[in-house]
Amino acid sequence: MNSLQKAKQEARRKWDLLKNSKIPIIYMGTATCGRAAGALEVLESVKKILREKRLKAKIVQVGCIGPCYLEPLMDITMPGRPRISYANVNSEKAKKIIESLLIKNDPQTKLAVGHFGDESDEFTNGIPRFFDLPMLKPQERVVLRNCGFIDPQQIDHYLANDGYLGIINAFHKGWQKVICEVQEAGLRGRGGAGFPTFKKWQICRSSPGKTKYLICNADEGDPGAFMNRSLLEGDPHSVLEGMLIAAYAIGASQGYIYIRAEYPLAIARLKRAISQMREYGLLGKNIQKSGFDFDIVIKEGAGAFVCGEETALISSIEGKRGMPKSRPPFPAVAGLHGKPTIINNVETLGTLPNILRNGATWYKQFGTQGNHGTKTFSLVGKIRRSGLIEVPLGMTLRQIIFDIGGGTRKPFKAVQTGGPSGGCLSEEFLDTPVNYESLTAAGSIMGSGGLIVMDEDTCVVDVAHYFLDFTQQESCGKCSPCRVGTRHLVEILERITKGQGRPEDLSKLQTLGETIKRGSLCGLGQTAPNPVLTTLRYFRPEYLLHIKEKYCPAAVCRELVEYRVVPGKCTGCQRCVSVCPTGAITGPRAEPHNLDPTKCIKCRACYEICRFDAIAGDAIVIRSRREVADEQTQ
Amino acid sequence: MSKRSKTVKITMDNKVLQVKRKLTILQAAECNGIYIPTLCAHEALTPFGGCRMCIVEVEGMRGFPTACTTPVEEGMVIRTHTAQVQNERREILQLILSEHTSSCLICGQKDECREYMGTIRKAGVITGCRYCPNDGQCELQDVVEYLGLKEIDYPIYYRQLRVEKEDPFYDRDYNLCILCGRCIRMCQEIRMADVLAFKQRGRQTVIGPAYNRTHWQAGCEFCGACVSVCPTGALSEKARKWEGKAEREEVTTCSLCGVGCQVRLLIKGEKVIGSLPAEDPLVNDGQLCVKGRFCVTELVNNHRRLRKPYRTQNGAELQISWEQAIELAAKKLSDCPAERFGLLVSPNCTNEDLYVAQKFARVVMGSVNIDTTARKFYGPGFNAYLNLMRMSVPLADLSKASLILCVGLDTRFGRSVVGVQLRKAIGRGAKVITINPRNNNLTMIAEKWLQPAPDEMVHLLRSLVKLTEKKGRRTMMSASRRKRGDLADELSQVAEMLGEACSPVILVGSEFLQRRESPQILEAIGKLARNTCAGVLPLPAQSNLYGSVLMGAYPELLPGGFSSTDKGRADDLSERWSADIPTFPSRRSAEALLWGRKLKVLYLIGVVPPNREPHSDFTIFQNIYPSGSPGQADLVLPAAAFTETDGTSINGEGRIQRVRKAVHPPGEALPDWEILCRIARKLGKKGFDFGNVRQIHKEISRFVAGFGNFAKPRRKASPLLIEGELRVVRRKSAGKKRADKKPPFMMNVSTVEHIYRGFPLTDWVEGARMLFAEETVDVSPEDAKKLGISTGDEVVVSWEHFQKSLLARIVSGQQRGMLYATLRNGEFIEPNPHPVIMRKKDV
Ligand SMILES: Cc1cc2nc3c(=O)[nH]c(=O)nc-3n(C[C@H](O)[C@H](O)[C@H](O)COP(=O)(O)O)c2cc1C
Ligand code: SF4
Ligand code: SF4
Ligand code: SF4
Ligand code: FES
Repeated sequence: MNSLQKAKQEARRKWDLLKNSKIPIIYMGTATCGRAAGALEVLESVKKILREKRLKAKIVQVGCIGPCYLEPLMDITMPGRPRISYANVNSEKAKKIIESLLIKNDPQTKLAVGHFGDESDEFTNGIPRFFDLPMLKPQERVVLRNCGFIDPQQIDHYLANDGYLGIINAFHKGWQKVICEVQEAGLRGRGGAGFPTFKKWQICRSSPGKTKYLICNADEGDPGAFMNRSLLEGDPHSVLEGMLIAAYAIGASQGYIYIRAEYPLAIARLKRAISQMREYGLLGKNIQKSGFDFDIVIKEGAGAFVCGEETALISSIEGKRGMPKSRPPFPAVAGLHGKPTIINNVETLGTLPNILRNGATWYKQFGTQGNHGTKTFSLVGKIRRSGLIEVPLGMTLRQIIFDIGGGTRKPFKAVQTGGPSGGCLSEEFLDTPVNYESLTAAGSIMGSGGLIVMDEDTCVVDVAHYFLDFTQQESCGKCSPCRVGTRHLVEILERITKGQGRPEDLSKLQTLGETIKRGSLCGLGQTAPNPVLTTLRYFRPEYLLHIKEKYCPAAVCRELVEYRVVPGKCTGCQRCVSVCPTGAITGPRAEPHNLDPTKCIKCRACYEICRFDAIAGDAIVIRSRREVADEQTQ
Repeated sequence: MSKRSKTVKITMDNKVLQVKRKLTILQAAECNGIYIPTLCAHEALTPFGGCRMCIVEVEGMRGFPTACTTPVEEGMVIRTHTAQVQNERREILQLILSEHTSSCLICGQKDECREYMGTIRKAGVITGCRYCPNDGQCELQDVVEYLGLKEIDYPIYYRQLRVEKEDPFYDRDYNLCILCGRCIRMCQEIRMADVLAFKQRGRQTVIGPAYNRTHWQAGCEFCGACVSVCPTGALSEKARKWEGKAEREEVTTCSLCGVGCQVRLLIKGEKVIGSLPAEDPLVNDGQLCVKGRFCVTELVNNHRRLRKPYRTQNGAELQISWEQAIELAAKKLSDCPAERFGLLVSPNCTNEDLYVAQKFARVVMGSVNIDTTARKFYGPGFNAYLNLMRMSVPLADLSKASLILCVGLDTRFGRSVVGVQLRKAIGRGAKVITINPRNNNLTMIAEKWLQPAPDEMVHLLRSLVKLTEKKGRRTMMSASRRKRGDLADELSQVAEMLGEACSPVILVGSEFLQRRESPQILEAIGKLARNTCAGVLPLPAQSNLYGSVLMGAYPELLPGGFSSTDKGRADDLSERWSADIPTFPSRRSAEALLWGRKLKVLYLIGVVPPNREPHSDFTIFQNIYPSGSPGQADLVLPAAAFTETDGTSINGEGRIQRVRKAVHPPGEALPDWEILCRIARKLGKKGFDFGNVRQIHKEISRFVAGFGNFAKPRRKASPLLIEGELRVVRRKSAGKKRADKKPPFMMNVSTVEHIYRGFPLTDWVEGARMLFAEETVDVSPEDAKKLGISTGDEVVVSWEHFQKSLLARIVSGQQRGMLYATLRNGEFIEPNPHPVIMRKKDV
C-alpha cells in the first residue's frame, strides 16, 4: 500500500501547491455543457490574452459545476484570494475581467456571480458566496463534490481530495462489511427503479459461479438528462472508484462501462482515467496487495434508449441486438454470458466512495427515512435557472423548481419527472417530497433524474405526444403491446392535437395505456404510457378542450392555432421579421407589423422571440367536413 | 444446501400438480393438458416472451407474467384463464392484429367464405381477404378463435412492405409478420446460420438479414427451417402455397443424397405436398437441407413425370400397354447374348431394387454387366473411396470430436445438416479445419482454412501424413522450427492439432473427387486417419452408394459385398438362386466391360444416357422423367420415385433405413423391382415371383448381414464391411508436359452432384436452378475484372481442339488463374485440371 500512499502524498503536495499558487489560476468549465456555450473559444481567447499581455497564470480545465444557464463559467483565483466566478463569459468579457483582475487586481464585482471564500472580505466585498446563491444554497454536493473543482484529467487532483480512500477502506473492511455498510447507508439504485443496491449485490454475491461481472450503466438515454455525463466528465475517478468498490463487494473481476458513443468527451476522460488507474496500481491483478483482481473495459453503445435496460444492455455488450429479455433469470443470477452480473448506474457508483469514506451514518444525514442520500437532477425546460443540481431526497418539487430553479417566467404548469418514462405532474404536486414512493404514487417515477419544467405555454397533449413518439420510435419491437400499442397511442394523440379527436378517445387512451403498462415485457413499455396517463389524470380538461372545442389553450397545436400580431403591443422592433422563415411578417420598423396567415407555417418562432407578448396564438375552430356541409345546406 | 427434489408442487387452475423443476409454466401446463394460447413460443426454441399471449396470473407476482418464460416454483399458484387474463389477451391480440391484414381472421363471413370461395385463391396475391397461404393452418387464426375475437378496435396499419419473391423456394410477405422472432431464433439457435435478425426499431421493426444484405449474401442455406416455424403466412413455401392442410403424413428417408435424412412427407390425397424434417435424433435431428425440404415435392410432382410406357419408332413416340412393353423388352433381351447386354442402375435406388437388378443381370441374362453410375462419378478413385467407407464413423461422432477436418467439403446447400452439426461442434468448443481450394461457408467458421491449389491437394495431404507419422513427430517439430514458409508452418500446426485432438473426425466432401489425383488424395486421407486415430466419414452424393455395393450391383461384387472371383461364394450363390451365374473375368476391369463397348441391349434404370455413352442397338430407359434427348431410348418404362415405393436404403454412415411409400406412382408407373420381375417372369425365369418388397428384403437377408427386419430395419451405423474390391483403371498420370508458356487458366471440372436418378435437380426443380451450379464456371474476382466478366456472362473456355461456353460466376476467395466448372453428367477433360484459355463470349 506504500506506493499509493506515496502517490497520495505527492498528489497532496501538488494540490497544495496549486491552492497556494503564486500566480493566478484561471478555471474554465469545459465539460460538454460549457463547450456547447462556447467555453473552448473563450479558453482560446484567454490564452491569447495572456500571451499578448505577457501575463502569467495557470489554466485549469474543470467539469460542470452546476448552473448550466451561467455557462461558460470562468473562475479566477488570485494568489492568496478566494476563487471568484464569472458567468456567461465571452471573449470580450474574458478580456475585460482578466485585464482588470490580473493587472489592476480589481475583481470587477459587478460581473462576478460568486466567490468560493468562507466569507466576504474586502476583496470580495459585494460578491455573494457562490454556495449562497439561491440555486446552490439548498443543494448538498456529495456525488458532485469534485465537479468543477478538480481537473478531471488529473488523477492527482482526485487523490488529493481523499480519492481512492473509499476502496482502501473497503479492502480493510472486507467485502461482507462493504455490503453491510451500503445496506446501512440505505443506498438505492439511482438508475431508475430505486432498488436497494445491497440487495442486488447480495443476490449476485451468493449466486454460484466464480466469474461475475460488474457493469456501469452510462447509457443515459433520457432526452434532456445529462447528470451521468456531467459526473463522468467532471470526476471520472469517483465513478471508477465506485466500480472498484462494487466489484470488490460482489466478487467481480471484470467490469464494463456501457456508454453511448454520443458522449465522446466522457469516453476520452474515462479512457485516460483508466490508464492512470493502471499506472497507479488501481486496476489489474492483486490491486494494492488486497488479493483482488479487477479490470475495466469500455463498451460504446450506439445510443438506443432501450439499451439502458439491463437485459438489453447485456445483449448489446454480448454483441447482439439490444433487446430486453424476460426475467427471471435476473442479471444478478444469470447476466452477461450467463454469469451473475450487477449493473449499476453511474451515480449509484459515484456515491459509493463517499459512503465508504465517510461511513453510512454520515451518508444517512441526507435525505429521509427510506430515501437516504442525495440525488442529482438535470433541471431543464421553461425554468429560469437550469442546470445540474444535487439535492437531498425528500426535498419538495416546489423547493427544487422555485428555490433552486427560480421558477418559471410565465405561470408554472407542470413538471415531467423521470424523463420519457415518467409522468407529468401538475401544480398540486408541487409539495410532494421527491422520493421513489411518492413519485410512483403520483403516477410518475423518479427515473434517472430528468426534471422538465413546463409553463403555460406548454400544451400537455403535445408533451404527451412528444414523449410517446420518442418511446414509440425507441421501442425495440419485441413485444406487441409496446411496439403496436405505443403506435396507436401516438396516432390518437396526434389526432387530438390536430383537432380530430373523438370523445371516445380518452377512454381508449386510458385502457390502451393500461394494457401497455401491464402487458409489456420491459421497463420501456411498462412505463411508456406514463406521460399520457398522468396528463389524462391531471389535465383532463385540456384534452377535452382539444377534442370538443378544438381549442389548444397553450396555442401550441399547430392545426388549432392561428398567429396574429397584437397591434397595441407590437413596437415594431422587427425581431420577429428576422426569424420568420417564410417572410409572413412585414411592416416598417417602429410600426405595428402585419402577419400574413396564408404564408404562416405556424412554426411559432415569432411567438417565442417576441419580447412584448405581441404575437398571439388564437385558437381556430376546426369544423368537420360534415359540419361544413350541414352549414351550407342550411 | 439441502437436496432439492426433482419436482415441485404447484397449483394451476385450482388443480394441484406435481411437475418437474426447471419447467416453465407453459411447459407444465402442456404436460397437464392445460391450454395456454401462444404465438412466439416454440418447443424447439428458447423462450422469447414477445407476443404476450401466454400471460397468466401468479399469486404474489406483480402484473401478468408470461407463462413461456417464467419457471415454476414450489407452491406457485397459477391461474391461466381468469376473465382478466382473457381480457388482457384480447386487448393485446387486437394490437397484434392491427398490424396484420386480418380479414381472414375476424371477418363475419369467414365460414361461408371458406365454403364457397375456395377456388379463386389461385390468384397470385398472398395478402388480403382470404388469400393468405397459411389459411387454415395459421396459429394466429387458432388464437383468434380461442379468444373469440370478433372485431378490432383499432385502425389497421398496412405496412406496405414489398413481398419478397426473388429468392428460390419461399416467399416473404412481412406484412403478415407478427414479429414473433421464431424464424430468427430458428436460424440462430438451431441452424446457427445467423442469417436473420431484427432490423430497425419501433414501428419499423422488420425481419431480415442485417445490413441490407440479400439472403444469398448473408449465407442463407435455404433450409426452410424458418419457414417451418412461422406461425403466420409471412414465410411461405412457393410450391406448397395453395395446397392447404395435409391429410396424412409418412416418414421416409430422403433419397437425394447419402446423408439419408428422415423426412416427414405431407400428403393430401395422392399427392406429396410438402416435406418437413422428421424429429429423429439419429441422423438429421430435426433438420433438413434445401433438397430434402424443398426439392422433393417439386421433383416428384412435376407434370412431366412418365406415366405410361412407350416405345420410339422412327423418332415417334408410341404409347403402349405394360403387356406390350414387357413383351417387347423380353423379346429384345432373349435375343441378346450375355456379354452384349448391359444393365446400368442408379445408386439412388433402394436396396431391394438394386438387388433385383443385379439378380436380373446375373440370373436372367447370365451377364456380369451390371454397374451403377457411381463408377463414372468416382472414376479411378472409386475403390479408394470405398476404402474410406470401410473406416467410416457415425455422424454423431462429431459431437465427441475436439477437432474436425473437412476435406473438399461444402455444406451450404447439400449436406447442410452436417454444416449444422459442425457449427454445433464449434459452439461446444471443437475446432474445424477445412482443406479446400475453394471458398465456401465453412471457410468462414473454420479455425483454419488451408487453401491449396487443386493440384497441390495431394502434396498437402501427403505432407500431413508425413508430419503425423509416429516416428516423424520429432522431425516434424524440427521441420517447423526450420521455417519453411507459411504453408509448412500451417501444416505443422494442423498436424500438431490433429495429433493432440481427442477423437478427431475427418469429413470427406466431393470437391476433388473428379480431379486427376483423387485416388491419391483419398488414399492420403486414409493414411492420415490411421496416423491420427481419426474417424473418417465420407459423405457420398448418392443416396444408396453403400447399398449398391452391399447388394452387389457391380461386376466385381456379389450380394453381401463378396468378391465375384471368390469361387466358393459364387457357387453358393448359384445354388441358392438355383441358377448358373457368370463369373467375373478376372483380368479385365469392370469399366471396360460395360463402359465403352457397343452393346446389343442396354437397360438403364434411373440412369440418363450421357452424351458420350456406349451406343447400343436397343436401349430400355426406365425412369421417372423422359430422357433429355429423344431417340436415345427405344423403350421407355415409367418408374416410381422414392416417395412412391417401399424399400430400404443405406446412408453414408451405414444405417439401413426405411423408404416408405407415401403415395401411388403417377399413372401406370411401377417400382423398378416390379418391372424387372415382370420381364424376368415373361422370360420364364424362376426366382422373380416377389409379391412385395418385404419378400425381396427377406431374400436379401439370406446373403447380407443386418437385413431381415423390414418393418424396423437395424439403423445402427456401421462401416462398409465387405471383402470384395473394385477394380479401377488408373488413368496414366499425364506426366509433366512442358508447356511453352504458362497457361492462362487452370480449369477444374466437377460433375453436378445434386442428382436424382440421373437427372440434375436443376432440370426439374425451378428453385434449384438458382442455387446449384450447372454448366457454370467460377472465376476469381481479379480474373473477372481483367477479362471484364461479371456474374451471369457467357464465357468461352477452350483447350486443344475443344471449346465450351459456360456461364460465369464471380466467386470471392478463389485463387487467381483457377477456374471451377460444374458440368452436367459425364463430361470430362483429361487430365483434370487442365490448362485452358478463356474469353468473354462475343455478343
Ligand atoms: C428503457 C429503460 C432505459 C433505461 N435507461 C437507463 C439509463 O440510461 N441509465 C441507467 O443508469 N439506467 C437505465 N435504466 C435502468 C436500468 O435498467 C437499471 O435499472 C439500472 O441501471 C440499475 O442501476 P441502479 O441499481 O444503480 O439504479 C433504464 C431502464 C429502462 C427500462
Ligand atoms: S416493452 Fe418495448 S422495448 Fe421492452 S421488450 Fe417490449 S417492445 Fe421491447
Ligand atoms: S432458410 Fe435456413 S438459413 Fe435461410 S434464413 Fe431460413 S433458417 Fe436461416
Ligand atoms: S416471419 Fe414468421 S416466424 Fe418470423 S417473426 Fe414473422 S411471423 Fe414470426
Ligand atoms: S408465447 Fe409467451 S410471450 Fe409469446
